[in-house]
Amino acid sequence: MTRAAPTTLRPTSAKEVRDAVLDTPGRLAIAGAGTARHWAGRPGDADATLDLSGLSGVIHHNPGDMTVSVHAGTPVRELQQILAEHGQRLAFDAARVARGATVGGLVATADAGPSALVWGGLRDLVIGTTAVLADGTMVRSGGHVIKNVAGYDMAKLMHGSYGLFGPLVEVVLRLHPVPKAVACVAVDGPVGEAADHVLALMASPLEPIAVEWVSGDPGRLLVRLEGGTETLPARVGRLCELLGSGAHEAGEDAWETHAALTAGLPGGGGDAAAGDQPAAEGAPDGAVVRIGCAPTRLAPLLAQLPTTAVTAGLATGVATVTVPGAAVAEVHDAVAAVGGTSVLRDRPEALDAPAWGPAPSALTLLKAVRARLDPEARFAAGRFDPWM
Amino acid sequence: MPLDRRIHDEFVALLGDADVLSDPVRTRTYECDGLTGNRVVPELVLLPRTASDVAGCVRICARHRIPFVARGAGTGLSGGALPVADGVVIGVNRLNRVLEVDAENRRAVLEPGVTNLEITAAASPHGLYYAPDPSSQQVCTIGGNVAENSGGAHCLKYGFTTNHVLSMEVVLPDGSVVTLGSDSMEQSGPDLRGVFLGSEGTLGIVTKVTVRLLRTPEVMRTLLADFPSVAAGGQVVSDIVAAGIVPAAVEMMDALAIEAAEGATGAGYSLDTPAALVVELDGTVEECDEQFALVKEICDRHGCTRLHVAGSPEERANIWRGRKAAFAAVGRISPDYIVQDGVVPRTRLAEILGRIDEMGAEAGLRVANVFHAGDGNLHPLVLFSAAEGQTERAEHLSSQIAELCVEMGGSLSGEHGIGTDKACSMPTMFGEDDLAVMDRIRAGFDPDHVCNPGKLLPTPRLCGEKPGRYRPHPLEEAGLIERL
Repeated sequence: MTRAAPTTLRPTSAKEVRDAVLDTPGRLAIAGAGTARHWAGRPGDADATLDLSGLSGVIHHNPGDMTVSVHAGTPVRELQQILAEHGQRLAFDAARVARGATVGGLVATADAGPSALVWGGLRDLVIGTTAVLADGTMVRSGGHVIKNVAGYDMAKLMHGSYGLFGPLVEVVLRLHPVPKAVACVAVDGPVGEAADHVLALMASPLEPIAVEWVSGDPGRLLVRLEGGTETLPARVGRLCELLGSGAHEAGEDAWETHAALTAGLPGGGGDAAAGDQPAAEGAPDGAVVRIGCAPTRLAPLLAQLPTTAVTAGLATGVATVTVPGAAVAEVHDAVAAVGGTSVLRDRPEALDAPAWGPAPSALTLLKAVRARLDPEARFAAGRFDPWM
Repeated sequence: MPLDRRIHDEFVALLGDADVLSDPVRTRTYECDGLTGNRVVPELVLLPRTASDVAGCVRICARHRIPFVARGAGTGLSGGALPVADGVVIGVNRLNRVLEVDAENRRAVLEPGVTNLEITAAASPHGLYYAPDPSSQQVCTIGGNVAENSGGAHCLKYGFTTNHVLSMEVVLPDGSVVTLGSDSMEQSGPDLRGVFLGSEGTLGIVTKVTVRLLRTPEVMRTLLADFPSVAAGGQVVSDIVAAGIVPAAVEMMDALAIEAAEGATGAGYSLDTPAALVVELDGTVEECDEQFALVKEICDRHGCTRLHVAGSPEERANIWRGRKAAFAAVGRISPDYIVQDGVVPRTRLAEILGRIDEMGAEAGLRVANVFHAGDGNLHPLVLFSAAEGQTERAEHLSSQIAELCVEMGGSLSGEHGIGTDKACSMPTMFGEDDLAVMDRIRAGFDPDHVCNPGKLLPTPRLCGEKPGRYRPHPLEEAGLIERL
């Protein structure tokens, strides 16, 4: 039997999302800005798609309390512009924010950027959520205050869920002040050398906000510092001294190259890394795999992998690598061998490669929770293939 | 009803006679946690020494559907470790080894019975420390911190236990053992680690915890400042935040709390001030000095009557000793007291303190206030005399304060948890659907309801036949949220 072309529903309010879930039988796909639509397991057939890009905008910003509630389809890029007027920001810099990624999509994919070193991911920044479950139940958890231990934290369940438990409709976020000054210090060198720098840096009191190595010839370590206008230059000086000869201040555009490489797009490296190659839309050159492991295991791991592009948080243990499609299974195995986790992101259209590494020990538990919340498995078909 | 002798024997066969307590004289030690008003003597207390024995105990419980309650140091303030009638307590404080300090990866691997302060003690030779610092940190355990998602004075800048736990080994209610979380912030699938954190012992028992360690800041600057009113102190906090400064900690105490703390510790607080603020900044020398100058200026601007800067680590420790002893010290000025824990949006602090004042006056009871001013987390201490028959009035006032926090758009609890104490208040903060979904999640972990039953969520048995009054959430009334 051939399926009819799936319907696309475009709810613009939480209530419409709930009605759509209740009124549409069968399996539902959830779409936001589409910046991660090819990540993780290939989506299975759906009877309808919930396009949440119209569920957008700030609901309530409390500058004095440094919190904001937003509709889940709000692009973080737009949110940041609104917050900036108040000297505030969501301390979050995932690469795809620049391409319009939404709050809900970023939570669902557990995406994060270089500054997760200090601020954590969205799992650390979301303080409240409202979601719609498969049976139309609208469930709220957390609240509008930063400190809150009342009840189970549903936001965590949604983080990295790829929509498994249904769509988020509202999200409350904690905010941070925009720093008065930001600087980026770069030093060229291969990943092993960079890893040594990072050990010394993290043992120092310099409090870097982000520490990332980007591949190239020979590759480059980027360190971001934030602080006061008067005081930052002195810390930049201390940092350059610590990193030794060759360390120099680089422009903030170095992070654009970083973002492009993280997306699997050509971004250059080494001297080219400071160049102005904007992140272009388009299919990646190979398969992009996100990996995480203990920080000191990362550089040796990367050295084993057949990568064509790498961005590596040498202090967080989180890296994004581009490899030939045929090497994806090998990457999963190598990461698992050092106790890490891995997930396939963008990949060539035709590639048939495993999306995830070995199943976690808590898989049975995950299935049990899902059975309670979505017994008919309406959401996220295929996303966690081959586990479930 | 006593446990079947054969079940008792199964526990003895697993743990040995000495580690299974059944003598009521000994099990009575475990009848309550820090919420001492609620007491239940457990049938048995099990004291396993290894993670696999914890799992063994849970498997026996699961097989016989015996409710169990995990317990660390028993310092919790919400009755989360209150034993269950006809159930067993599984004490994990004998699993108390620091298994590893990995300085290069800035993390430590701990058994659940390690105390909070022992983590920093083990890390400090490497220039590292463990950030969450609940006031009970000398005795409370990391297992309990995981269960309660504990905070502390420094969580404004550094976050709570959930922000510092990378992974955990957990015994699920069926006795199976899983790892939640991973070696990095990347995880395979949903963050079940984060669901477990703060679940108050209702989803399983943690047997191993890997925490992140932070580098000890280059400098710490601490000041103690007196103000003519709590409102003035609150304005200082607002201005600090508006200046883009995130202090490591901002604590406020009112006159009653200061009187108690100073009497107990002689830490150097002024006895004649209506309000005192403790502000601490940490970081690099450059940033700290620049921000500290600004903080002092803000204090002056709001009529600071005395400003004392800690000139040495000893002076800093003294200031903190006074603050952290405040709860217990209140015993000096009142025969009995209740510690409350609620949160309001920080900008509404002055307003709620005024309301608490009025409510106290109306009830004819004194209320001392100690609070984490930076994040709006209040700890009103309701003073009363049980001997004079004020208990019920005090409990009522204390609950009213917590529910007022919710009305003001805050939370029933910032760090002490719901436990038994506030389970029946949960319907003031969450709708029926919200609570029903939490119960479904719980059933996913614990289909047989054996794991710390009667805690966190309201039950008809605990709260009366109706699972709770439904009232529209204040945020709903204000049009900030909608319930459909």
